[in-house]
Amino acid sequence: MAAAGSAKVALRVAEVLETIVSCCVGPEGRQVLCTKPTGEVLISRDGGCLLEALHLEHPIARMMVACVSSHLRKTGDGAKTFIIFLCHLLRGLHAVTDKEQDSLISKNIQTHRRHWKNCCQWKFISQALLKFQTQVLDYIMGHYLSKHFLSIFSSSTKERTLCRSSLELLLEAYFCGRVGRNNQNFISQLMCDYFFKCMACESGCEEVFELVDDYFIELNVGVTGLPVSDSRIIAGLVLHRDFSVYCPADGDIRIVIVTETIQPPFSTSGSEFILNSEAQFRTSQFWIMERTKAIMKHLQSQNVKLLLSSVKQPDLVIYYAGLNGISVVECLSSEEVSLIQRVVGLSPFVLPHTSLRYEICNTALMNFCKPLILRSKRYVHLGLIGTCSFIPHCIVLCAPVQGLVEQHKSALHGAFKMLRQLFKDLDLNYMLQASDQNYASSLLTYKNSRESTPLPEIVNGSMQSPYQGTVVENKGKLATTQTYLKIYSNFVVPSIELETHIPRSIPKVTPTDTYQTDETLRYLSLAKTRIVDDSEPFMESNSANSTTENTRIEISYENLQVTEIAGRGSMLAVREKSLEMCTSHGYCFSSIPAGCVLPAGGNFEFLLHYYLLNYAKKCHQSEETMVSVIIANALLGIPKILYKSKKGNYSFPQIYVRTLHAIQTHQPMVSSQTGLESVASKYQLLTSVLQCLTKILTIDLVINIKRQPQEVYDQDSEEEV
Amino acid sequence: MSRLEAKKPSFCKSEPLTSERVRATLCVLKGILTSSYGPSGRLKQLHNGLGGCVCTTSQSSALLANLSVTHPILKILTTSMQNHVSCFSDCGLFTAILCCNLIENVQRIGLMPTTVIKLNKHLLSICTSYLQSEFCGCRILVDFSSTQTLLCLVRSIVTSKPACMLTRQEIDHISALILRAFLLTIPENTKDCLILGKSIIVPLKGQRVTDSTVLPGILLEISEVQLMKILPIKKSDTFKVALFCASLSGDLSDTGEGTVVVSSGVSLENAVLDQLLNLGRQLVSDHIDLVICQKVVHPSLKQFLSMHRMIAIDRVGAALMEPLSKVTGTQPIGSLGSISPSSYGSVKDLCTEKFGFKHFLHLIPNEATICSLLLCNRNDTAWDELKLTCQTALHVLQLTIKEPSVLLGGGCTETHLAAYIRHKICNEPESILQDDGCTQTELQLLTEAFCSALESVAGSLEHDGGEILTDMKYGHFWSAQPESPSAVDCPDLLSRCGCGLYTSQEELRWSFLKSTRHPFAPQTCLPHEAVGSANNLTLDCFTAKLSGLQVAVETANLILDLSYIIEDKN
Repeated sequence: MAAAGSAKVALRVAEVLETIVSCCVGPEGRQVLCTKPTGEVLISRDGGCLLEALHLEHPIARMMVACVSSHLRKTGDGAKTFIIFLCHLLRGLHAVTDKEQDSLISKNIQTHRRHWKNCCQWKFISQALLKFQTQVLDYIMGHYLSKHFLSIFSSSTKERTLCRSSLELLLEAYFCGRVGRNNQNFISQLMCDYFFKCMACESGCEEVFELVDDYFIELNVGVTGLPVSDSRIIAGLVLHRDFSVYCPADGDIRIVIVTETIQPPFSTSGSEFILNSEAQFRTSQFWIMERTKAIMKHLQSQNVKLLLSSVKQPDLVIYYAGLNGISVVECLSSEEVSLIQRVVGLSPFVLPHTSLRYEICNTALMNFCKPLILRSKRYVHLGLIGTCSFIPHCIVLCAPVQGLVEQHKSALHGAFKMLRQLFKDLDLNYMLQASDQNYASSLLTYKNSRESTPLPEIVNGSMQSPYQGTVVENKGKLATTQTYLKIYSNFVVPSIELETHIPRSIPKVTPTDTYQTDETLRYLSLAKTRIVDDSEPFMESNSANSTTENTRIEISYENLQVTEIAGRGSMLAVREKSLEMCTSHGYCFSSIPAGCVLPAGGNFEFLLHYYLLNYAKKCHQSEETMVSVIIANALLGIPKILYKSKKGNYSFPQIYVRTLHAIQTHQPMVSSQTGLESVASKYQLLTSVLQCLTKILTIDLVINIKRQPQEVYDQDSEEEV
Repeated sequence: MSRLEAKKPSFCKSEPLTSERVRATLCVLKGILTSSYGPSGRLKQLHNGLGGCVCTTSQSSALLANLSVTHPILKILTTSMQNHVSCFSDCGLFTAILCCNLIENVQRIGLMPTTVIKLNKHLLSICTSYLQSEFCGCRILVDFSSTQTLLCLVRSIVTSKPACMLTRQEIDHISALILRAFLLTIPENTKDCLILGKSIIVPLKGQRVTDSTVLPGILLEISEVQLMKILPIKKSDTFKVALFCASLSGDLSDTGEGTVVVSSGVSLENAVLDQLLNLGRQLVSDHIDLVICQKVVHPSLKQFLSMHRMIAIDRVGAALMEPLSKVTGTQPIGSLGSISPSSYGSVKDLCTEKFGFKHFLHLIPNEATICSLLLCNRNDTAWDELKLTCQTALHVLQLTIKEPSVLLGGGCTETHLAAYIRHKICNEPESILQDDGCTQTELQLLTEAFCSALESVAGSLEHDGGEILTDMKYGHFWSAQPESPSAVDCPDLLSRCGCGLYTSQEELRWSFLKSTRHPFAPQTCLPHEAVGSANNLTLDCFTAKLSGLQVAVETANLILDLSYIIEDKN
């Protein structure tokens, strides 16, 4: 297969995938039924799931699917948009190259054509794309788009509080693309309720996301045969098994976890037990029995009412547990054990080898422990008292068929993944163009700006984000900041020493440095902020300093807060973080702060489209212009599908014209959909697609090998051949 | 090493519902289901060409479990119904037929799936809120002071399973037995929450149905040989029972992960047997009368026990352990050594009984919520059907205790509900039109589709070609004898409505169910005296029917929403 063919083939493949995927996009999307060879029937609107289920054969298609799934592992969202966007990009590229081959009139294009042909056009384009992705995209995001960002946190107070209504909007938009139309609102409400019930305090939300994401399977129960509306949240933890023995208990209930059988075995592994007489056998059996009895008695005396075991316990243990009023749950999975350990901070009980005098310290208190019957199946329901910021709750998901339960489960899991991503800052770094220097400096007011100096200047700043309470304990916070400061000064000192031979710069550096420490400390005392130390770029610039002898260090610090209130959601506001610049190398570090959102329904695409076109106009290099225009146009593919079924005032061209007008005149944008979507995930999606595209374009030959994969190691298969 | 093999690409189909094949298979399935519905439903004989017994049935659970469907859409439909049945036991056919009707009707009108799903959801919420409201005209609150309503409910269920092959008299007998068995599982004194006991169904095939009976306690089947060994049971006021869950066969317990080396000349079997006999001696000294073991009892121990006038019964199985420990009030013993005296239990009386050709040991408890329902029927297939029916009825009674209402059966709830929705949509469509952005015509089309789906479920009750009518006052279901002058003109031919609540004595206007008619407001709020006076009502379980309605609409919505099918052919 020739090189030029690869893009064409990729376009064909992507178009086929697009037709399948586009029917599931957005709030109007429909469902797809997947059957498995095992006879299971799965209902899905999840792009990743559909692509996996197709078992594509074509090598390029398989590569695309691999790219999508690696993107999904990272973000948990955006598979369908991935394919649509990729398809439009390929279409755009195809159109451009076709045109260039056709048109022979313009001299300019003529030269271009030669140029393209000469230096292997596809590779060239892919390089341009890569350059765009690493440099231009971050720049546009950081400089233009960030003005429009809204935040999921309400900004009324200094502390960061999660706004329930905006979280609801965010989840609604998310579930619009994931679950069936008649259950969208219900599931997003359920998720929202669940999250707020589980969260002990505002500051612990990240821990909650992490925990729920990690142990999602253990935290929900699927019930088939009931209408979806019967799904509910129950307090406590539900284990997917029944009691081996249940003794009703109330009041002070304590639990222990064991990971081995309580009854001592005859012999442990690696040892030998020699029986010399029948009497010896009898006495050892008697000892085992007495020992088991004693341990269970001891547990009872410590007020233990529930024994959780990760292994199967012998009948004898169950019997004595019952006699002593201890309920037993056996065969817990390792995930369940570790979840309980994390929630209540309990470590497994180690059987004492000698005396049973002392107290057992590895116990935890519990509110209740009772059987729970869901659809005539019995479960263990534990009222654990959480010691971390997660208050244990379980979701009971009901649906007529298992496939629907699975769909809701995976959608909820994906939503938690998405939120987990959303609550992280996303760093952007990009090269500043010479022409944009002015723009950047006008945006930021430098404390000690020295634009006029002929020497390149280094602006070092630490990114300080008002991160309320992500640190586990308040006390530890101060300590960590202090250590950070120490590290910080360690970094600074060598650079000062380096510069000592330039007498002018010494007084410059030291005062700014102290200023900065002051600033940090002030922040610390003021708003309980945690300092996110981005030491890597700092080190980078330091090492760079050592190479360039006559650089002058100048540290500038600015914590800029741009607050913009949207027309519709007045409670939403953006908090632009301190930007950090390092202009000596032209690098610019910025970030998409945690919790940044935009209204759903193509707003991100419209904005990026607009700014990319603007950027393209200013560009000097033709290939950069071309790439920007292609990407800008491809972005519109998503809103085109979203508004496909709408008519009249809400048809795509109408919306497009109105939105662009709104952006130009700095008015709030119109959107027919309520709901929000995460900026960070959109951004990540964009970079993933561009990476995938460059991968596709750099392939020049697909070699078809007709041989069994080498891993196949089976005699049967050889016989078959 | 795992085996790697290239996977075959999947098979992808778009717009599955439009294909002719799917429509045809859906139609066939619907035909099977509708023809089995109701008391006069036709029986289906299912036999597997590869073996297994022939099953004659008209119940959804047996039908759906045995039908093998291959098309994914039908699979979704049938699994959805099976899941419903396993939750509620009842109303499986109702749910399945309603779902099929909805899909068929909606396809006929050809609206956008988006609109259909939204509107269906609205109509469903109107239904559920009406059925749960106080002024609902087809719901009766259960009066627990008399067994009248519950007996009607059970009788309706038994009547609706024609494959049990029962006569009118047998239906009455079985219904009464089921109700008595259920009442025996209710504990006499309860504190805050009610924990129901269990009725164990004991099979006795080949006997007359009227020989079936209900006994408190547990019947343990014993062979004739065992019976000979049991000496005449001495009379006493209580019998002490030891219930073992550990094996008494003398096998060595788990020896751990290491190795155990036994010197020559040492016999572990003897040691274990000694231990068992010691246990026997302890049981003797504790004055135990009955030893029951889940697993196997060593013959020597059995011999020893019977020498000491103890009855030993082994291999009772795990299923009976829980009822046994409840009846005797013991805790299953898992130790061969010292047994705490507190883990022994007792029964009030112990006797051997013979039913048909089987011998049983009957454990009569002092006070327990366990009873045995000895169920007889002439042949295997009819017995299987009867057993399923009994389980359904017992489950429905449990559901009714939880939610003390019943719905009018015999198709009356469906027609009444359809009339209510038609009237409601005709008079106040604004509420739906406002938040959905659909047109009045779309709403009317869909309402008609929804209501006629409900009405044709009721219509499927009539299998003999009779006319099906509805009255214009209550919106109930009436069916007339076939081969007679049109019933609309001669109301005398109609005696009672489907549920038996109203007679044709009143001045009523009738109309054919399938004809178009003006929406009318069906009379809501059931008059209390009307319910009290009628003693032979056909009733349906409220919880099961409500959930069935929801599941049917949800499943139909799901199927209508499908745009692609991806079949993995590996």
